[in-house]
Amino acid sequence: MKDMRGFEADSGKAGDEPVTRRDFFTLVGWGGFLAAMGGVGLGSFKFYVPTVLYEPPTTFKIGPPKDYGLGVDVRWKAIGQFWVVREEKGMYALVSICRHLGCTPNWFPDQERFRCPCHGSIYDTNGNVRGGPAPRTLWRAAISIDPVDGQIVVNTSVRQDPDPKSIEGIAVYVEPEGRKVEPFYISV
Amino acid sequence: MIDRLAKFVRDTQIWQSVFRHGYPDNDRNQSLIMFSSVLLHLHPVKIRRSALRFRYTMCLGGLSAFMFLLLTFTGIFLMFYYVPDTRQAFQNIKDITSNVFMGGLMRDLHKWSAEAMVFLVWMHMFRVFMTGSYKAPREFNWGIGVILLTLTLLLSWTGYLLPWDQLALWAITVGTKMAEATPFFGYAGPWGQQLGMRVDNDIRFLLIGGTVVGQSALLRFYVLHCVALPVLITLGMVVHFWRIRKDGFSGPL
Amino acid sequence: MSERNTTENIYPRNPKKSYALMELVKGQGFQTKKQPEDTVFVWPHLLYIELIAALVFLAGLLWVCTFKHAPLEDMASADTTPNPMKAPWYFLGLQELLVFFDPWLAGMVLPSLIVVGMIAIPYLDINPKGVGYWAWKERPFAIWTFQFGWVQWWVFIIIGVFFRGLDWAWYWPWDDWHQHKPSSGATLNDMNVILEGWGMSVSAANMSTYIMTIGYFAVFMVLPAILWRKFSRNLGFARYVTVWGLMALLWISPVKVFLRLGFNIKYFLVTPWFKV
Repeated sequence: MKDMRGFEADSGKAGDEPVTRRDFFTLVGWGGFLAAMGGVGLGSFKFYVPTVLYEPPTTFKIGPPKDYGLGVDVRWKAIGQFWVVREEKGMYALVSICRHLGCTPNWFPDQERFRCPCHGSIYDTNGNVRGGPAPRTLWRAAISIDPVDGQIVVNTSVRQDPDPKSIEGIAVYVEPEGRKVEPFYISV
Repeated sequence: MIDRLAKFVRDTQIWQSVFRHGYPDNDRNQSLIMFSSVLLHLHPVKIRRSALRFRYTMCLGGLSAFMFLLLTFTGIFLMFYYVPDTRQAFQNIKDITSNVFMGGLMRDLHKWSAEAMVFLVWMHMFRVFMTGSYKAPREFNWGIGVILLTLTLLLSWTGYLLPWDQLALWAITVGTKMAEATPFFGYAGPWGQQLGMRVDNDIRFLLIGGTVVGQSALLRFYVLHCVALPVLITLGMVVHFWRIRKDGFSGPL
Repeated sequence: MSERNTTENIYPRNPKKSYALMELVKGQGFQTKKQPEDTVFVWPHLLYIELIAALVFLAGLLWVCTFKHAPLEDMASADTTPNPMKAPWYFLGLQELLVFFDPWLAGMVLPSLIVVGMIAIPYLDINPKGVGYWAWKERPFAIWTFQFGWVQWWVFIIIGVFFRGLDWAWYWPWDDWHQHKPSSGATLNDMNVILEGWGMSVSAANMSTYIMTIGYFAVFMVLPAILWRKFSRNLGFARYVTVWGLMALLWISPVKVFLRLGFNIKYFLVTPWFKV
């Protein structure tokens, strides 16, 4: 094969050399361009991910257990987004975030139910779903007693989230006794 | 006297450099104006008489575009008095409605024309479907239209957070919780946790720049609402209008 | 072949000229069916219409602004969610859907499929008739399908706007909208739990829900091919599968609403990864 000036071309014979010089440079050029673009894309993505967060606190000291009577206590809902539930033998904290889409449910003492205003999810005091679209049970927050001053400490960033199942009558159910484990339950 | 003055003005080099032809009251000038004006040349020079019937298009597409212009106009005014800061934003909105001259009107217009735009875009889509105007060779332009509709809804949604009132916070909380449930990319979605998604690295975290809807969410939505999405939708509209001319009109036009 | 010869015969190529007639082909000219005298100038006829439409619409908006102001609620606070919490009306259809489906489906997958399905419409509709005018009779399938989705969209929006009150419970217009409704006595169950209640073993009940779900899609895949042979053959395989797959998804909301309201079913398919 001869090139335009009539000389024998040193490459480009079909089947003889698989990659001609021109093909090689095209490949390197486009490859480099695409690699650079990919780098720009990755860099932009990484830029978009925040590295420093300024968010509200998640740990609260809520006073000694004797401050809380039997049943659901709503006084920390506005401040820390959790309810304190006291039973005969122990206490736990339910995170007041609906497991459906994150609204704040309201407590109805007469019905003994938490009901969500957004899409109508209904929970009982164990956090099990008694109605509406919620797919999982309410989170329980980490709870402990400060050994120094005897106050209860609730940390809402550590959450208990067991896999629910469906039983006759309750669509999303977790055995309450199984949830009474450290650090999500304190005996009083 | 006035005629002579007008003629003098029209003969100056300045006038002639701006207006390339006389007033469009004859066939020649009516054609020239459509060719020479960048905005008017979205239209053809002539259309069929039957296309003027209101019953055919009901002006829905044109009015959607007009709503976008009106929203840009009122939105720019609102931006002069609004700071995307969770401590100030709500007060800014109150100031705009009660203290700024015509501020309330600007906000009302922005709100209602946004809702009107959603409605008009939907009805435009409905009309285009019912008259079969999406068929070949206009398939691609229908696709662009669907994307424009989606962008319109995203603009409405991002704008919702800006007043920083209860409706804003909870509409966005719910909306971004849905993002959290995205399959594969969301922490709470199917196969999300299996792929290593956490509260602080999934798609919702990227969207609101944190784990709760707060300051960074407000700033991100502000930038999306005022800059990123308007630029995207403008590009889309340019292609949409261009394609109407290039693909040819369906039916009577 | 003959066309080329005709062209050569009538207009022989002249080597002295830099231009030549390349080809004569059969077909319609640009002006077929368009009489020039039937057209009008855009300036002023169309531009006036556009200007008037814009001004009338703007006047209407200004009139609305005189008596209806943009709403502003209390300052945002994470402590309490307003009750009921309603999204803007144009998203209430989706919010209503969230009552019946999990968020990944109602919030992400179904909306994405609506967008993708809509973009796909022109490539799925092979009926060449009815371009450029209002036509029901010439393309019944396309229009009835579209109307089905369109009406669903609006029905869900209307339910969300006018029939949902406190705690997202159902309120009639004549009900007291400030009085909480008691939580419904009916309990929701999953399909497999109901089947177990009928005496099936756990694994048989699970298997049945899988089979029923696959059966649901299979009906949409098989039945049209039997009922409308010619129509299906014209569509071709890829279009056929896409059209009826999307159609099955278009029916999924009414079916789920029916199962939920009629039989108190929460999920009809429970897998380890997701629930439908």
